[in-house]
Amino acid sequence: MGVPFEALIPYGIIVAMFGVTGIGLSATKYLGNEGKAARWNRDTWDKVMMERDLRITGTLRGQYGGVEAPKGFEVSNPWKVEKRIF
Amino acid sequence: MSHRQAQFNQHVLVDTTPMPDHIPKVEEIGTTSAPLMSAAYFIGDRCKAFNDDYMKCKAEANGRGELECLKEGRKVTRCAASVIKDINTNCLKQFNAHWECLENNNHHLFECRKAEMDLNQCVFDKLGLKKTIPDTPENVVPVHLRAKQLYSRFPGPQW
Repeated sequence: MGVPFEALIPYGIIVAMFGVTGIGLSATKYLGNEGKAARWNRDTWDKVMMERDLRITGTLRGQYGGVEAPKGFEVSNPWKVEKRIF
Repeated sequence: MSHRQAQFNQHVLVDTTPMPDHIPKVEEIGTTSAPLMSAAYFIGDRCKAFNDDYMKCKAEANGRGELECLKEGRKVTRCAASVIKDINTNCLKQFNAHWECLENNNHHLFECRKAEMDLNQCVFDKLGLKKTIPDTPENVVPVHLRAKQLYSRFPGPQW
């Protein structure tokens, strides 16, 4: 008493769809962190420092151990602006 | 309110006007977060006097510290740059190993004690800078010298 193959098609679809989301999410995480372990539980200081890394290296996860800042670094500091409510 | 982030801060203002000519120039430090974290205690060891001087100046300037403490600020920048330059020339291998470990472990110092011990040893031998955690009680082992790191991924003996 064999199982008809039509009964297995939905399972194939379920496995494929979960696979697509899983692989897609892990690929996004891997590429977004440039192959390093993701940062977690970041506070304001960490976020500000990562924005500074972005200004120095061009990516949020890029790191540079030397002293010399890239050209124009001293004037690229952004001021956060907000509209006055009153 | 320095601890509060601006709300709805889509607007960013980048002012590309350079500093006026009558203010002496200083090279900004281009080191990123993980190497700075790694070198922090050595910067603190060599530059404590300059840093304290700057903080005192700012505290006494009644909110005009950004303008009036530029001279002290330049000293702070130059001192930190000298420390990082010295570490890079003398202990590049250990320094790179430590900050790459930090970068892979969410900048948690307690995950990288082995690399940190090597770096501390090298920096102490070559530059004479020692990592001390301020206000550690006399009768306890400082946390970075404990063999077991309770909260790290591998809590057993670290080296």
